[in-house]
Amino acid sequence: MAILVGLVLAVVGFVTGTGILGGIRTSMGLEYWSTDMSWSVGYPVALIGWLIGVGGWKYWAVEWFGGKAATPPKGVKRYFEWNMDHKVIGIQYGVTFVVLFLLSGLTAMLIRFELMNSGMQLFTEDQYNSAMSFHGIGMVAVAVAIMLGAFGNYIVPLQIGARDMAFPRVNALSYWLVPPVAIMLIIALLIGGWDTGWTAYPPLSVLTKSGQVLFNLAVITFGLVSILGGINFIATIIYERAPGMTWGRLPIFVWGAFAGSLIAFFFTQGFAAGLLMILLDRVVGTSFFHAAEGGSPILYEHVFWFYSHPAVYVMVLPAFGAVLEVLAHMSRKPLYAYRWVVGALLGIVAISGVVWAHHMFTSGMEDYLHAPFLVLTEMISIPTGIIFLSAIGTIWAGRLWMRTPMLFALAFIFNFTVGGLTGIYLADVPTDIHLHDTYFVVAHFHYTIMGGEIFALFAALYYWFPKMTGRQFNETLGKIHFWIMFIGFQLVFIPMFQVGVKGMNRRVADYPEAYEDFNRFISWSGFLLGISFIFFAANMVLSWVRGERAVANPWGASTLEWQVSSPPPEHNFEGQPVIQGGAYEYGVPNAPAHARMGTAAVTEHV
Amino acid sequence: MNRHLWIAGILWVVFTALALAGAALMNPFPTVGAEEAEFSDHAFRMMTYMGAPVFGFVMAALLYSVLRFRSGGGGEDGPPIRGVGAVPRVWLLTTTTLAVVVMIYPGLTGLAELRSDRTHDLEVNVTGFRWAWVVQYPEGFASQELVLPVDQRVKFNVTAPAGDVLHSFWVPAFRLKIDAVPGQITNLYITPNELGDGATDAAYRVQCAELCGLYHARMQMPVRVVTAEEYEAWVAEKAGK
Repeated sequence: MAILVGLVLAVVGFVTGTGILGGIRTSMGLEYWSTDMSWSVGYPVALIGWLIGVGGWKYWAVEWFGGKAATPPKGVKRYFEWNMDHKVIGIQYGVTFVVLFLLSGLTAMLIRFELMNSGMQLFTEDQYNSAMSFHGIGMVAVAVAIMLGAFGNYIVPLQIGARDMAFPRVNALSYWLVPPVAIMLIIALLIGGWDTGWTAYPPLSVLTKSGQVLFNLAVITFGLVSILGGINFIATIIYERAPGMTWGRLPIFVWGAFAGSLIAFFFTQGFAAGLLMILLDRVVGTSFFHAAEGGSPILYEHVFWFYSHPAVYVMVLPAFGAVLEVLAHMSRKPLYAYRWVVGALLGIVAISGVVWAHHMFTSGMEDYLHAPFLVLTEMISIPTGIIFLSAIGTIWAGRLWMRTPMLFALAFIFNFTVGGLTGIYLADVPTDIHLHDTYFVVAHFHYTIMGGEIFALFAALYYWFPKMTGRQFNETLGKIHFWIMFIGFQLVFIPMFQVGVKGMNRRVADYPEAYEDFNRFISWSGFLLGISFIFFAANMVLSWVRGERAVANPWGASTLEWQVSSPPPEHNFEGQPVIQGGAYEYGVPNAPAHARMGTAAVTEHV
Repeated sequence: MNRHLWIAGILWVVFTALALAGAALMNPFPTVGAEEAEFSDHAFRMMTYMGAPVFGFVMAALLYSVLRFRSGGGGEDGPPIRGVGAVPRVWLLTTTTLAVVVMIYPGLTGLAELRSDRTHDLEVNVTGFRWAWVVQYPEGFASQELVLPVDQRVKFNVTAPAGDVLHSFWVPAFRLKIDAVPGQITNLYITPNELGDGATDAAYRVQCAELCGLYHARMQMPVRVVTAEEYEAWVAEKAGK
């Protein structure tokens, strides 16, 4: 209902915004409608209409005018409108981005269908470019936001013993900015798509069709989501920790979320600024990137990668946290080299800001920049190595409980090793000059982001599913999902390294016949990989609706979120939990429990 | 505990040996058509050899743990090993050393080598525009096929018209690429050292390697590396027209 009101107000806003613009344009003797300019003006007004409609007015803004904010409803209804409870927002993010993940995955299936044979089959070149671009930005959005959005929101406040995030209203605002991003990208496809991938390099993005404008508006909005979320996590983790929750006792997932949020907060502005400059070039006629008018296309690449390389650590640092969390609890051992891991996470935050130009070794940038960026990029392998030390040290001699989340966490170690080692070839200039913009790169970043973060995502998803839904997932379906996904994943992306080295470049609708055998194999493997998500989706839906009721602590884990009921009570804790020891004191003789819960109410919920 | 370490250590050696053998036997590369290609493939192989023990280590530790340290989830705790003291320090020292080694060789040394020779025997201008390539030869004619004499060092001046978009000049057989930036000239130096023909070998093609819109995939130009005599004949024919 609230969503319907939001949509109506968005349309009203859009018509009003474009109408005023059209009025001005007509009075100046111009045409009423200009796709680029009308969307640029109509969209922000539509966005405000949407936010008011979905509950931003009723639950928040009304107070600015002396009114009284409404009380949110209980039950399922609250998931479909503005809500400030971090647990509701976590689920909203989780479901939204899983849907976007499956949708972008479906476009990957279409892409693999097209690339199965040399020549054009399913798509025209134009449609292929749009599908590829949509797959790219859809998955980047999922990767950036799902770990922090879903699990950061749901789990971080619970793990640190807080009642909610520091800024619940900002939290609701940042979630409700997400649906417009998805809607705009889909409208962009419907009005003819865009063909600049997710990177939007000018001058092409300045010259190409108007779908680009919608892409830019959507992604700038998404940047806002990321920045607002980042600020919220930083503030929450600094100020909302329970008594006794010192920095040295924080669960490692919280550290991962903290490190990822720092990057999201510091760097996202760069991307948004770059996209805004493209909009200005298109709509107002500036020439930041118009070579003909003295602008510089390479400038954009610097601005873009200054954000977009750190962005991969926004994706991966919370994933490191989640994987180490699962490994420690399911090996029943203290997290190995905890303090070193914290240092490594913060070290990655620091170095991530000074490696961007390794994406630009073939861009024609100044030669003297090559050596420093080669050195700095190789340096990032040092803190990343510590993460591996911790993962291996934690499982070594442990009591490994091979449930679905553990399988995904262990697979993460395998995949990220491949992803990390192949990254060295791309940091090294003499090999990168050949490999840049080939399928080798495609395989490499799928190993780090999909094999890394997305496997970590499924580890986290299965691990926290009982806590978040109050239901236990089906273990058999979970394991089927894991094995098909793991095997399918290797079969898709290992040959991609090979075909890339052989000379197949990325982002192409078609390729020389010489690469056909590889591509056919990759496509069939891709369909296998796709099938695994049918088991996943079935498991999620069936288990959520009819699954066995979950107990408070099915994994016997020590951290705070497992010491309350599944799902947790409305304000998380009855009384104030007090932290009195480390988060991973498994097997430590006479160690105090991680937390002393506030009142007897705890046992009541178990 | 010691026995676990011994077996896992042996596994490490075995995996590393297998990875090294695989790396030595594999030939993932397209046709080697230039000195620069030999150089790039050599760097690629070196990194594969250096990566093999790292890959072997992680696989040994992972596989051994998965096989030997299972439990049914009965809630029994593992030994409280915390990872303080010598192990993380040794690890840090080892990984740092490895990273520094790779930075220097094949990294920085390779970069220096790549930039060392700026002489050339032949200079051609390449222009990329949506969606085709054109080569301008010093004799004053233009061609939509890149024909080069073998064993001569060629300097490429690459560009795109000021009103066009980014492209990237790449010949897989030569292993080098450089973006064609509107309104700017970028350079590549290549010494083809094998005869080759784009009609039979996909590695001999100029392929645009920077997303440039509608027909990006089709933005190709065949490459032919010919003997000095054949080259002269071709030039004479082209220039005569």
